Amino acid sequence: MEQPEEKMVIPLGTLALMALRTLDLLGPLHGYGIARRIEQISGDLLAVGQGTLYPVLLKLEQEGAVQSEWGASENNRRARFYRLTRAGRRRLQQERQDWDQTTEIVARFFRVKAEELQ
Amino acid sequence: MKAAKRFLARLGSYGTRTRDEERLREEIEEHLKLQTEQNARAGLSPAEARRQATVRFGAVEAIKEEYRDGRRLPLLETLFHNTRYGFRQLRKKPGLTATVLVTLALGIGANTAIFTVDYATLLAPLPYPDAGQLVMVWSTIRGGRNAVSTADFLDWKRESRVFQDLNAQTESSFNIATRAQPENVEGRVTTPGLYRMLGYPFFLGRDFLPEEGQPLNDHVVILTHKFWQRLGSNPHVLGATLRINSEPYTVVGVFAPGLTDRGQGEFSVPLAFRREQLNRDTRWLDVMGRLKPGVGIKQAQSDMYGVTKRLAGSYPTTNKGWGVSVEPLKNDFIPASRITTLWLLLGAIAFVLLIACVNVANLLLARSLVLQREMAIRSALGAKSGTIFGQRLTESLLLSLAGGALGVGCGYAMLQGLIAVTPPNTLPSEADLRLNWPVLLFTIAATTLAGLLSGCAPAWYASRVDAADALKEGGRSGAGPHRLRRLLVVMEFALALPLLAGAGLAIHSFWNLMNVDLGVRTDHTLTFFLDAPDARPSTPPSTTAYYRKMLDGIAAVPGVSHVSVETGTPLLGTGFHPHFFIVGEPGYLDPSLRPWVGVRAITPGYFATFGIRLIEGRAFTDRDTFTSTKVAIVNQYFADRFLRGKNPLQMRVSIPQLLAGPVRVGEPVQWQIVGVFHNVRSRGLREDDAEICIPFWQAPWPSAGVGVRMSGNPMAALDSIARAVHAVDPEVAVANPRTMAQVRDDVLASDRFNMILFLSFAAIGLVLAGVGIYGVMAFSVAQRSHEIAMRMALGATRNRVLKLVLEEGARLACCGSGLGLIGAYLVGRAMQSTLFGVGSLDYSALTIVGLILLATALVACYLPGRRAASLEPMQALRRE
Repeated sequence: MEQPEEKMVIPLGTLALMALRTLDLLGPLHGYGIARRIEQISGDLLAVGQGTLYPVLLKLEQEGAVQSEWGASENNRRARFYRLTRAGRRRLQQERQDWDQTTEIVARFFRVKAEELQ
Repeated sequence: MKAAKRFLARLGSYGTRTRDEERLREEIEEHLKLQTEQNARAGLSPAEARRQATVRFGAVEAIKEEYRDGRRLPLLETLFHNTRYGFRQLRKKPGLTATVLVTLALGIGANTAIFTVDYATLLAPLPYPDAGQLVMVWSTIRGGRNAVSTADFLDWKRESRVFQDLNAQTESSFNIATRAQPENVEGRVTTPGLYRMLGYPFFLGRDFLPEEGQPLNDHVVILTHKFWQRLGSNPHVLGATLRINSEPYTVVGVFAPGLTDRGQGEFSVPLAFRREQLNRDTRWLDVMGRLKPGVGIKQAQSDMYGVTKRLAGSYPTTNKGWGVSVEPLKNDFIPASRITTLWLLLGAIAFVLLIACVNVANLLLARSLVLQREMAIRSALGAKSGTIFGQRLTESLLLSLAGGALGVGCGYAMLQGLIAVTPPNTLPSEADLRLNWPVLLFTIAATTLAGLLSGCAPAWYASRVDAADALKEGGRSGAGPHRLRRLLVVMEFALALPLLAGAGLAIHSFWNLMNVDLGVRTDHTLTFFLDAPDARPSTPPSTTAYYRKMLDGIAAVPGVSHVSVETGTPLLGTGFHPHFFIVGEPGYLDPSLRPWVGVRAITPGYFATFGIRLIEGRAFTDRDTFTSTKVAIVNQYFADRFLRGKNPLQMRVSIPQLLAGPVRVGEPVQWQIVGVFHNVRSRGLREDDAEICIPFWQAPWPSAGVGVRMSGNPMAALDSIARAVHAVDPEVAVANPRTMAQVRDDVLASDRFNMILFLSFAAIGLVLAGVGIYGVMAFSVAQRSHEIAMRMALGATRNRVLKLVLEEGARLACCGSGLGLIGAYLVGRAMQSTLFGVGSLDYSALTIVGLILLATALVACYLPGRRAASLEPMQALRRE
């Protein structure tokens, strides 16, 4: 059995962000689809038990960022499809800005050299 | 905001839990299927494909759990769950539940009842509109407050700037003709504005009109609701005539039920000042005022100070040295010692509740021990200690809530009982004793506190059970819980001792009062009062003739050995309380510095009737008449205090002439002292008072008390005595007939009442403490049967085993009592002002209650001790 590489543990809260972005990018998806896409996009570098996605989706739904309804999956079985709401889209935008800002600030700390601070 | 949204979503999803659960299961199943298919396409065997999919998904149950947590309302749900669990647990043990409920219901009920009394009396606002504006205004001299003279009252009313209104009132008793015999009833005499000023509601009719405060217009009466009911609840009573003191009075109103029904008087008539009453030396009015809006007590006090200072300047003979005190109406009529007593009773009953709580804690703890294995198994299966703590605490809160609900009912019953046995005039008439919202809030607070207090220790203990230990020991408990239970017993005794000490002090104080040398014999003596109507014309000769006839008539009743007329009954008062001075002594020249003295006018039979001892000189005789030399007999206290080092029989005292009819002080008259008599308690039983007796025939007074000494039972002869009285005067009532023993009991009523309350609280506390120590020892013996059997097998005798148990009980009781000494001392300090002849550290009372407590502990331990001693060692050991 293949031994998994040293995988990154995802920071708290970012799983929700990833799910939102995936739905934003690809439109309505069922849970399995979202999990697969996250793995695909992250290049299998993240150690996500696929199941942990479901409590996150529930929380997002309770907060009104996504909506869900039953639909038919690829092979015509019942599956629950998640769709981004308008509030979810706004939230994604907001969180994206926050994220960019945070990374920018952290990046500055890494760029900065001692002599520049004289 | 987000949290609120989520809470609402959760609340919304609360009812759809099963559907959501189903949805999740379906989603997971679908997910796994898709992943399995994917894996199979990648070339894995079907079984391996499924396995890999499951591994990839993660721990399904944990995720389900997390998902469920996300949907739930944890607090509400836990509460609901715990409550159901609690109910189940309580139903399983009806005996224990009932014991706990009864204990709590009694404790909470008693607290509710006592708090109701305290609240209504001391805390509740007065039942008048803008009650904060109502004040009493007293005359003061040498720091003490006094009633107010008519002329002063009228000047105050005219000259003060701070009152909306100022009214005067006094109490009086009247003869009325309601039945075959005339009857004597109390009534209030008030200036016409009083009830309007108070804002007192009427049931029928109207208040007095201002002009009804004038003589000749004043024959109108307002009935209290209860008196109206007694007269037959006639709805057309307005305009009817009531004969009061043989004169017709027109009924103009009936008060609303409630407040005035709890007061002393049966009706109210207008206070109309007659010309001869407009003086400054008779102080007889209670003055009540309503302050103008925005005026405080301080401002009123300084305004009235100016007024009284001017009056003192203008009328030095009567007003020099007299000041004024403006006091809030609230609690102005309750003596300070009674306020202390009311708070003390609440404190005592709170102690009872605390002991009850400790007891309940003990019972629950015992149950925790029994449930130890269950708790251990549950905690081994993963129950968090917080969960167990919560469950156990919910259980005891449930118990206390049920106990509180029962307690309200219990409290209501106790309150009715309390009202029935409270001596009259103990509480102000404004105090409306009923269960209301503040009282219920108090009960709820007490209940919650009781639940927390009694629940915390057992819950804490249950939540800390070490699963491994508990299961390993095969159900036999370790030392820890038992130590906690013993600590609780020590606490119980530490609480019980102050309670018992309080009762001990109250009893000792009452015992002292019972054994006070009253100075009179209380056996075979009947007393009553003849209240001659004010308006009946009377001159000294006519009054003398009237009472001579009375005395002759009563003396002729069979069985009567002595009879006397006196202006005041011993133990109740002397009748008059004027200034006096000793003739020829300097230092009495300034009238405002002259001391007061009790003055009693008596007929010659007085000393024999009441069994009062003469120490020196002679008693009065029938030769001391209106025209002979004025003579007086003083009491021992008077001689010691004012005539020290002199021969009393050579001194003369000067007191103002007693003028019958008009309420007014006469010119000073000198009286030659001819005797000294043994002190008679006349102002309560607690202290002696200076007293002068003068011959009734030299100062005849229309209204007087009568004392009769009989050979048989005095009450049995009452009818024939009343017939003798009515043969002389058919209109006068035989008012308030009592034997001297009854008079003494009535004087002691409130002391006895306090003592009984303290005693019953202490008795409850003692029983609870006894039950507590019994429970602990019985349980301990049952738990230690193995050890005890072992000891016996090794040669311990049965007596030694019994001694072992008794010793442990005694040790606990002594520890507790020792700690309780601190509390007992504090209780004694707090009770000091209400006690008579008892110090705050009363060793005899403390010793006795300590012994009682120890004896209770030993009796309570004897039963479990006997059980331990009668153990059959072999059987007990085999059972293990």
